[in-house]
Amino acid sequence: SGTKQPIAAPLPSALATARIIEDLGSVQYPEGIKSPRVELNVNAKQGKFRYDRDFLLQFMAICREKPDSLPPLDAIGLEPADQNYPMSRGGSGRRSSSAAM
Amino acid sequence: QEVDMEAQEQKIRTVFEDPKSFNVKHPLYSAWTLWFDSPATKGRNLPQTPMSSFPQTPVPQTPGGVAALGWMEDIKSVITFDSVEEFWGVYNNIVPPSKLPNKANYYLFKQGIIPAWEDEANKNGGKWSIQLPKGKNERFIDTMWLNTMLAAIGETLDPLPEDGEEQPASLITGVIVSARPQFFRVSIWTRSAPSGAGGEDDALRERIEGVGRVFKTYVLGYPEAQKLAGPLATEVEFLSHKDSEKKGKQAKKIIV
Repeated sequence: SGTKQPIAAPLPSALATARIIEDLGSVQYPEGIKSPRVELNVNAKQGKFRYDRDFLLQFMAICREKPDSLPPLDAIGLEPADQNYPMSRGGSGRRSSSAAM
Repeated sequence: QEVDMEAQEQKIRTVFEDPKSFNVKHPLYSAWTLWFDSPATKGRNLPQTPMSSFPQTPVPQTPGGVAALGWMEDIKSVITFDSVEEFWGVYNNIVPPSKLPNKANYYLFKQGIIPAWEDEANKNGGKWSIQLPKGKNERFIDTMWLNTMLAAIGETLDPLPEDGEEQPASLITGVIVSARPQFFRVSIWTRSAPSGAGGEDDALRERIEGVGRVFKTYVLGYPEAQKLAGPLATEVEFLSHKDSEKKGKQAKKIIV
């Protein structure tokens, strides 16, 4: 957990450019990752999927990057999150690339 | 060599294979908008916030619609998203309910539905809710709210017939968490509410009760038979928005 991520993380662009999965059955997950419960999507139409909690929770530790369109939280009166990972002292010197506009 | 690169590009890469340059994401059944309000947003003129840039749901020019405009003035739309990956990107970068200031609320509603009774999708509906006193629920409320959101975006709150070819439209319009000086409240808003008229209404009531049971047991984690009411605490209870306006006088609550 001590490794630092580069500041210009490419994830937001992956988030923005990744295409929508149209057929859940076409996705093979790595070993150890559970697929969504099959019975939730028996008659699923394209892109209209239901997901169980255990499946969704697997993304929690991975998808940490702020989406490009998430506004700076202080602008909407919401204090920025006290993140679980350590923050540098002084605060103002450490802004994520997406919050810097 | 070139062919290999192309094949590599075509290959489906989920966020699990490649957290940085994945090329597919998991679409949600519906797009969702997160709204927020707190005493700090009240009366603040914030022309650059998403509230003004977000295409607003047209509010009918009725007394109700105008009332909703006043109600919505202080509620800011934070972001709209339509994939599992984006949901977590938002979740991991905002504060959990246990850290919200008093009188603050998060509203997570399907895109195009404003978190107000007056919205077309809400006006005939109601809400399941539970109230939990502060002081002993801080360590549970964040998980309860997360589970509530996951069941909403995963579309598992409304147990649909599994054999049905044509699934009825989901009853759920949105979910809310509220922080108050003495308690937290989590609510699930529904598109319709039983009136007690019998006939087809009984089927709706059964479906609504199904949502309540999923909420109490699977989402909040209580045994089905557990009594929850106490000082500043309520059962998991349903009230139509129309009955809510009556302030309890003739209100017919459903309890699971």
